[in-house]
Order: sequence, then structure tokens, then C-alpha cells
Amino acid sequence: MVRSLHVMIMYVLCHLGLIFFMFPADIIASTEQGHWFPILIGIIVHFVCLLTYMKGLSFFPTKDILSIFSKSKKGVTFLFFAPILLYLIMAIIITVRAYAEIVTLVFLSHTPLWTIILLLLSVSAYISYKGIEAILRAAFLLFILFFPILLFVLIMSFQNVDWRYAIPFDTDLGFISKPAYFESYFAFAGGFLFLGFVQPFFSYERKNVILSAIFLIPFFLFSVYIPILTLGQASASKAFLPFVLIVDSINIDWLMFDRVTMFFLLSLIAFIILYLSLSLWKAIRIINYYIPKSRPSYLLFGLSVAIFFVCFWIPDWKDVENILFMNSFLRSYVLIVVPLFIYYIGRRLKRKDTNETI
Amino acid sequence: MEQMVLDIKKALGGNDDFFIKRDYLLENEVLLLGLNTLIDITKTKTIFQKQSEGLISQGKTSETIFILMGELFEDDTKKAITSILEGKLIIYIENTKKFIIYEPVPKGLNRSIEVPSNESVIQGPSNSFTEDIDTNIGLLRKQLTSNKLLVHSFTTGKNQKTKISLLFINGVVDKELVENINSLIEKNKSMDISNLQSLSKMLGFSSWDTISKFNTTELPFHASQFLKTGRVVILVDQLPFALILPNLLWDMFIVESDRNFPFPIMITIRCLRVIGALIALISPGMYVALVAVNPEALQIELALSVAQSREGVPYPALVEVIIMLVVLELILEASIRLPKSVGPTITMVGGIILGQAVVEAKLVSNLLIIILAATTIANSTLVGAQSSLSIRLFKYINVILSSLFGVLGLVVGLVFISSYLASLTTFGKSYLYLNIGRKEQ
Repeated sequence: MVRSLHVMIMYVLCHLGLIFFMFPADIIASTEQGHWFPILIGIIVHFVCLLTYMKGLSFFPTKDILSIFSKSKKGVTFLFFAPILLYLIMAIIITVRAYAEIVTLVFLSHTPLWTIILLLLSVSAYISYKGIEAILRAAFLLFILFFPILLFVLIMSFQNVDWRYAIPFDTDLGFISKPAYFESYFAFAGGFLFLGFVQPFFSYERKNVILSAIFLIPFFLFSVYIPILTLGQASASKAFLPFVLIVDSINIDWLMFDRVTMFFLLSLIAFIILYLSLSLWKAIRIINYYIPKSRPSYLLFGLSVAIFFVCFWIPDWKDVENILFMNSFLRSYVLIVVPLFIYYIGRRLKRKDTNETI
Repeated sequence: MEQMVLDIKKALGGNDDFFIKRDYLLENEVLLLGLNTLIDITKTKTIFQKQSEGLISQGKTSETIFILMGELFEDDTKKAITSILEGKLIIYIENTKKFIIYEPVPKGLNRSIEVPSNESVIQGPSNSFTEDIDTNIGLLRKQLTSNKLLVHSFTTGKNQKTKISLLFINGVVDKELVENINSLIEKNKSMDISNLQSLSKMLGFSSWDTISKFNTTELPFHASQFLKTGRVVILVDQLPFALILPNLLWDMFIVESDRNFPFPIMITIRCLRVIGALIALISPGMYVALVAVNPEALQIELALSVAQSREGVPYPALVEVIIMLVVLELILEASIRLPKSVGPTITMVGGIILGQAVVEAKLVSNLLIIILAATTIANSTLVGAQSSLSIRLFKYINVILSSLFGVLGLVVGLVFISSYLASLTTFGKSYLYLNIGRKEQ
């Protein structure tokens, strides 16, 4: 029971960290009106993938995603894991680079970018070095510390809302062809892979994970609708980070702080550090599976240094967006192929088992 | 004289408090050996005579009487020496070459049971542990009358013999935990234990942990409550407090005597301690971040008044904070070290000179004094000397990171501290467990 709670919280935090930044801008850019529809499609896809993935994993109750394939040849499984690994590393690079950029934009304009990248990466590497137990437990602490702040800011951000901006409701499927829409899946695809990795360390109940996914639905909706309801579609689409802009405009007289954004952003960054450490841990697990002789801590150090230099090498925001778009193919692989494949293998194994018992 | 007695004399004869006295017990010539600094000889002899006379009048044979008087041993010089050093009386019976380890009347070397000196109790039992381990076990037994309370005792050390006792409640405690501790103590029995560092070495803990693996308490009442929730209590002779294993984060915020108050008040008090921990961790870092890096986060009026209070302060906020924090730590340390009669002077000097003069001389800002006072007071709300020291140390991480990265640094510092706390485990029990007695699924 307690263990499920940790997994649930981790699941929520990972997604919260990812939702509020690029996701609103991408959705607002992908359609002119009726934003609920693309969000809904995204959520449905998310749920279908999540359910398939968990169903697939449930055929192997005490195994993680790596040991499921322990009987097959390493060369063959590498074809399956290489895109996941590549996706994880790219996701880490994008996240670190993007968030470092956002931090400099919002509140550390004089600090060199590389120091922020270094800070984010070193703390994430430290946490992931401590292992999955520490990551999930830290998630629990950080949830207690920062989630109330996040919730407070979220409620406060309704301050300037004009509900008439919500109409018109009708919508079309035009967003499907927009690259921005596929970039928005970054918020969906990032978090759920870890469910396949935590299995032997932390067991969880599927029902609870679904509960936490349901818990996230309002956040997906609000992150897009609050900017639209405050500014209207036309102005909101001009903003670089619409939600951050809205939070920046909140004015609370009795609070000693002028910029509520900071607290909002900072709590999200706390969650993002967790997400990064989790992704680093997954990446190291995969690498260590193929290079079993090397010590994980060395691998972690090497990977972090490599990621640092790649982040350093990306010159500006345009390139981050390009990478984010390029990553779309890998993302669809992670989002669709991986759950289906795990499910297929699980089914086949089950059929084989029942045949043998007969 | 016999070989064994000669051996003992050779080992201990260099001490002027070592005595060998000739006496008679049931027409047997006996030698009494012991240390007169540990044994009250006159009283012991009186009791010894009375006891033997009583036994003779019952018509017991000399052999049974020897067995009834104490433990009977033969040819074990090492055992005899250890017993003498532990304050026992050795009765050496010359014709049988056996010796009795006799429990004498000890010199009154222990202080009586008093109220705790480092922990104060509001409305709760206030007996406190003393240096004598047997008294301590007795105190616990009295506090917790149960047939499930088990005591395992060990004598450890090569050069310095120390008694260690392990107490737990059978059925509540995790058996694996007890077995782990038992086997580690057995394995490292030859280590000399005189402080917590050597004890943690004995139990195989890393010596670089900033958070102590032991929670300490001076109160048998608290120790007994911990026992009830499945913890293990370790008592070490001559340490006037109980060590509770494993130490958990939540222990920083709860005192068992809280439960003597109504429930809502208990919750409020505990929340207050959590806030105290957060303020102690955050506020110095927050000051540095808001003054030096992110002043725009404050409302403009507040930012102006902060700037005004810092007017004329010649160095950056980080230096200002570090100087004052170090001075404050020095005051805290000095007030422990100083005799009680001089203590108030330090408070006055600290209060007036640092509070008033430093600000008037424009060396630090007014606001910082307030922040520091809040930090120190908040830090003192935490339960247990060990944990409040760790929090005192952790705040420097926040101060330094804040000076580099502003509020981001502060948050990253908190993330770092949280993950450090999350990574701590004692015999597989995470530091963040709320209650280890409960079985995890």
C-alpha cells in the first residue's frame, strides 16, 4: 500500500513538472479554438498507452522491463532498447537545456547558462546515484514540501479569468497535421516508462497508478485553459510560455512577494530535477544491462558529463525546438510501440504457459 | 601463595587500591581480592559473615554454601581479573583452588536518579537515565512492565570493558533488525566502546553520515514509548542516555509527552516543530537569495526597506550572513562550554553587543539580526540534540547555493537535502519511515 503511494506520487510529479511549460504553448499553437479536443485526444492516447503498458507488465509480476528480455539474445533486445535509451537521453538533454533557458529568462538573467545546466545535472545525477528507492522517497518529501505551493498558485491563477474566452467549443481535426501538436506529447510520453523499471524494487497496484493519471487530467486542462481564459487565444498564442506569463500577472496584496511565478516555477523545477534523476537512472539501467562489467556510478558520471557538453553545445531556443521535433519519432515509438510490444510478449508468454499446463 | 593469586597480583598489584585479605569461611582459609575504590569492604564483610552464618545454621555443607554465595570458578585468571575490575569481590578458597565471584556492597559511585539535564519535560514523567547501566535497565523495566521486554547484554572491548545492553519488545520489533544488531555486536566484540562514533563503527555505519543513526533520549518514558513502536534501545554503560535505533526523520518532530495534551494541541505543536525545521533551513538562504540575487521577487515596498536596512553595509550578503552565523554558532558552543555561573554573561554580551552594536556600527543589517534570531530559535524547537545539529549544518548548503543561484539555489538545496534524507537507511529501514513497526506490503 505504502509502496503504491510512492509510485503514484512519482507519476504525478513527473507529469506536473512537464505539463506547465511547453505543453500549453504547443496546444495553443496547434489549434485556434476548441482546445479541449486536442487535449482530450492526448489524454485518451495517454490512457490507452498507460493501460496497455501496465497490462503488459502485469504478465511479469516481479520483473522489470529489462529482465523480461533476459532469455532473448542481447543483440535482438538491443534493437528494442536502443530507441528507448536514445529517447531518454534526448529527453534529458531537452529538459535540462529548456529549463535552464527558462530559469535564465524568468529569474536569473545574469547567471551564465552553463552554471544552471551544471547545477540541474549535478543534483539530478546525485539523486539518481542514490538509486530508485531514494528517488521515490525524495519524491514523497518534495511532494509534501512543494505541492501545496503549486496548488496555491494554480488556484490563484484563476484571478483574471474571463470565462467567455472558453467559447467557441466546436473544433476540427486540423491540429493533427501541426508539428506543435506532436511536440505536446512530450508531456505525456515522459513519465510513464518508469513503471516498467521500478517493479522489483517497488511494487504497485495498477488501480492506483490510474487514479494518479486521472488526478492529472485537470492539470492538463488548466495549463492550457488558464492562459486562454485570461488572455484569449489571439494573445495567448503570441506568448512564449503562456502559463508562466499568466502566473507572472497574478497580484496578491497580502503576500510579501511580488512574483508568485518564482514559487510556481521553483516547485516545478524541484519536480523536474526528480524527473531528470529518474530518467538518468533508467538510462543507466539500460546501459548497465549491455555493459554489465562497468560500475554504474562511472557510467552515470560519464553520461552526465556527456549530456552537459551536449546541452552546452546547443546554441539557442530554436535548436531546442528542432530537437524536440526530431524527438517526436522516438516519442511515438516509446508511447506506442513499447507498450504494445510488452503487451504482445506478455500475451504470448501467457498463452504458452496455459498450453503447457494443458 | 597459589599460582593464580600470584598471577592476579602481577596484573593488578601495581594499583594501590588493590587488596588481598586473608579471612576464614567455614574453617577454610580464604583470600579476599578486590579494589577498595569500588567495594565498601566493611559493609561487604559484615554481610558476608551474616550470610555464611545463616547458611551454616541451616546445616548446609561447605560445598553447597560456596555455590550459594556466588558463581564458582576454577583456574580462570582472566575471568577473575575482569570481575575485579568490574567491582566484584573474589573469594579464593585456598584448599580447593576454586574462587567465588561475590557480589559486594559497592561504593556509592553513582548519582541518584534526577530530572533530565538536557531535555525538559512539560507534564510527563521526568526520571532520567543515569550513568549506571543496571539502574537504566531498571528504570526502563519499571516504565514498561511487560514480560515481552527482552534484555540482551554484552561485555565488549579489549582494553576497556564496557557493558552494552540491547532492549526490545518481542513480537513488536522486527526480528531481522535485532538479529542484525546482535550479530554485529558479537562480531565486533573486541572493539572499545566509549562514544557513539565507536559504537557506530561497531554496528558498521558509515562515519560520514551527517544524520546520526541513533536517536538519543534521556527519558525512560520516551525510550519505553519507542520500544513499544518496534524500535530497539541500546544502553551503554556510563552513557546517561538511551540510544534508539533506527533514528527516523519524524522523531525530530514528536515527543511522546505531546500525547498528554488534547489532540488538536498536539497536532499544532508538532506542526510548529515542522515549521521550525523549515525556517531554520530556509531563512538564512532566503535572505541571501532575496538580498543578493533576486530582490525583484519581493514587493517593491519591502524590497526598498530591505535595501534601506542594508545601507552602508560594506560587504556582500553572503559574507554578512556567514560572519553572523559563525558568531552565533560560537555563542552556542561557548554557552555549552562555560560554567553555569558565567553563562548569563555570554547571553548578555551576545544579545547586546551583537544585536545592537553590530547594527549601529553598520556592519550587518537589522533584518539579518531578525533572521538569525528566528533561525536559532526555530532550530531549538526540534527534538533531540543530534537532529537539531544536523539541521544546523544543512542550512549552510542552502546559504551557499542561494548566494550563487538565488531562490533557485535555495530550492535545489532543499531538493538535495530531501534526497539525502531519502537515501539514508539503517539496516534496510529508510530514514523517512513514519513507523517501523508496521509491516510493509
